[in-house]
Amino acid sequence: MTEVNYSVILFLSVSHALKAERLLKQESQAFKLIPVPRHISSDCGVCIRIDSSLEASVEKILTGSVPFSEIRPLND
Amino acid sequence: MAETVNAAGLPCPEPVIRTRKALQQHDAVDVIVDNETALENVKRLAEKEGCIIDITSQSDGTWILSLTKKGVAKEVKGKAENTPSAQGQTVVVISEDRMGRGNDELGYVLIRGFIHTLLELDRLPDTLIFYNTGVKLAADDSEVIEDLKKMESLGIELLICGTCINYFKITEKISTGIVSNMFDIASKMTGADKLVMP
Repeated sequence: MTEVNYSVILFLSVSHALKAERLLKQESQAFKLIPVPRHISSDCGVCIRIDSSLEASVEKILTGSVPFSEIRPLND
Repeated sequence: MAETVNAAGLPCPEPVIRTRKALQQHDAVDVIVDNETALENVKRLAEKEGCIIDITSQSDGTWILSLTKKGVAKEVKGKAENTPSAQGQTVVVISEDRMGRGNDELGYVLIRGFIHTLLELDRLPDTLIFYNTGVKLAADDSEVIEDLKKMESLGIELLICGTCINYFKITEKISTGIVSNMFDIASKMTGADKLVMP
């Protein structure tokens, strides 16, 4: 059973997450908007989950366009 | 002789999927799990399948769930039903493609988060019903379709309002769940022990 490794992009505000969502959609990137997992934060926030292999390309798209606080692995 | 499913070390939802497969082919199945989430999920599946469940906790931190289909158990054991406590049917109604009123953009974020999170709960719902704009979430190009497919593989029933997909002209985009009618929807809703409307 192969398990996909996911990373999450965390934002300081929901509106930044939504802006990033629009941008990634425009760029046809595969991602999923999900609630911030409880083991990362108890805040009622949303984050963007991506396949870890896409980290570099997604970071490039977002940098300079949308402020984000962190890209980190989903599990650990 | 019971079939054994060793689900220790398998990521969710594999234990449930393998148990379900084994139960389709065998009347008695022993399932080994190594975590409480898997234990609960397999237990729930077995309850839904109408099995008698006997759980043994092992010294190495694993559990063995001995599942026996009820009709068979009566013949074999000939004793009163050790019925698992009927926990009641939980039905979730997705009546819109958003959660809450006031801001649609935010509501769309919330409903996607809600559906994603349902799969992480210890106690999964039994049925999801989609009607009105809620049916758009069950279309093939929906952003939560992967979550819904996973639910279906776990045995969660997805009922999609046929009138609604016809109205929105998305009938050909529905390949997950069961296209359903008002009779089924109304009887599921009125028969539910718990009706959740996000």
